[in-house]
Amino acid sequence: MALRSVNLPGVGTKYEFSTDKGDTIALFFTKTGTIQMYTLQGGCHTPSAAEMTPMEARRLGNILTGAIIEAESESVEIAFSAIADLRITIHTYTIKKNIAGKTIEDLQIRTKTGVTVIAVSRKDRNIINPPPSFVFEEGDAVVVIGETDQLKKFEQDVMVD
Amino acid sequence: MEGIVLALFVCLVLALVTKYLSIPPIPFYIIGGVLLGQSGLSLVTSSELSHFFSQMGLIFLLFFMGLELKLERVAANRSAVLTSGVIDLNINMLIGFIAAYMFGFTLVESLVIASAFYISSTAMAITSLIENRKLMLREAETVIWLMMFEDLVLIIFLAIISAGDQNPFIFLLKIAGVLAFLYAIAHYGKEFLISILDRSDELPILFTFGAVLTTASFSMYIGVPETMMVIALGAALATTDPDAFEQHARPFKDVFLVVFFVFFGITMNLSAGVDFFMIGAISLLAIASKLISGILTGIFIHGSPLSGIEIWGNTIARGEFSIALAALFGSPAAATIIAAMVVVTSIIGAFTSKYSVRMRRWIAAPSGHRGRHRRGH
Repeated sequence: MALRSVNLPGVGTKYEFSTDKGDTIALFFTKTGTIQMYTLQGGCHTPSAAEMTPMEARRLGNILTGAIIEAESESVEIAFSAIADLRITIHTYTIKKNIAGKTIEDLQIRTKTGVTVIAVSRKDRNIINPPPSFVFEEGDAVVVIGETDQLKKFEQDVMVD
Repeated sequence: MEGIVLALFVCLVLALVTKYLSIPPIPFYIIGGVLLGQSGLSLVTSSELSHFFSQMGLIFLLFFMGLELKLERVAANRSAVLTSGVIDLNINMLIGFIAAYMFGFTLVESLVIASAFYISSTAMAITSLIENRKLMLREAETVIWLMMFEDLVLIIFLAIISAGDQNPFIFLLKIAGVLAFLYAIAHYGKEFLISILDRSDELPILFTFGAVLTTASFSMYIGVPETMMVIALGAALATTDPDAFEQHARPFKDVFLVVFFVFFGITMNLSAGVDFFMIGAISLLAIASKLISGILTGIFIHGSPLSGIEIWGNTIARGEFSIALAALFGSPAAATIIAAMVVVTSIIGAFTSKYSVRMRRWIAAPSGHRGRHRRGH
């Protein structure tokens, strides 16, 4: 897989590489700020293209590097290669009606599941490290950190109460 | 003043409509100008101010072109750029010149028409490649380099035609002097220039505007073509931080260039009458000659005449540089024919660039297999 990059005058930067199976992928960072991705199946003559905003391109990049993104929530897993077996997952959830009005303490999130709520985004405001007395509201986006198993427990015990 | 405001307002509406329909706005600015101006409703007349604005538009267009010139990249790609460039230049210049001369234009007028006939619109070609998602096609790179070659030819043409009856030796010496000066500033003042561009106050934008205007007026003062020197300024400054300069010059270019196009239409003199036969003939030839040069380029560079169809579809549109040549050197009759050619070719070019892939498949498929090939990918 050789990556080729060219700077095309007036257009922007082009990155192109061929996969082992003979398909070609080309990416263009255009001067208009959009990113175009082309894929050309080996043996085919017409590429298909998708145009993305920088935000969408970053999202695609996250998916390709292995993070899981679901419809409403997304998660990023960080693996520290220097510390053996340390894998931390950061996951986002949206608060539903069933736990709205309760505090972090009421739900006993850390004692029951082991995960920690590290941030809450409410409308346009972000609360970092919310205190145990923090009251959830419906529609809050919460960012939770923990191990994959702990997160699974959190989903089963707290979110689906 | 009210005239400029009215013209700009009309352009704003035209820009909104053309962007919505994703068609090139330049022909509509010109048509809008003709309708507003002396050949239409006579609502707007040109003034000293509009003339100044138009000139700014032209100068910033050329400065931008200079920023995009990547001479070292052309040199690296020499053989491919040269082959396609020389085919394009010879065929289109020749056909354009013969056609104009046969229609009774003088030698100089024919030369101006031939150059406008030759030079495709870089802006429209590149926009079409991006908007129609064709960047990955191997012909796309050929088209991009072709546009660059045409820009280089334009610079040489500007030098030749501006030299006039000056002593060529002194003229060249002056040009070389200014060029050396510009490149020396860019080379030795690089750090200083970048430190100015990095600031977040009004300084970078003021500097960009000032540098372009100073270069233009200084060139006029010592009698070298300001158009060429502004391009050279762009090329010299591109060795420092071209993206920053583009960012700071873009607002000036965007606004003044629209004024330039609309006032080109407003000041167009159609009193001599419009020869629709001649407009039709030149426009058709303009499309046909790019087809010939496109197919030849396709054969020589990509080994396939079908690639030529793709190149043709994206280079039919004549635009900003043709109008610039008409504004700088064209007599009223030559300017009218060039403007008409730009309007016709850019509108047709918008369609050919959109449907070139389909045309190509249609031509490539033997008639019996067309149905099956249509769902190619």
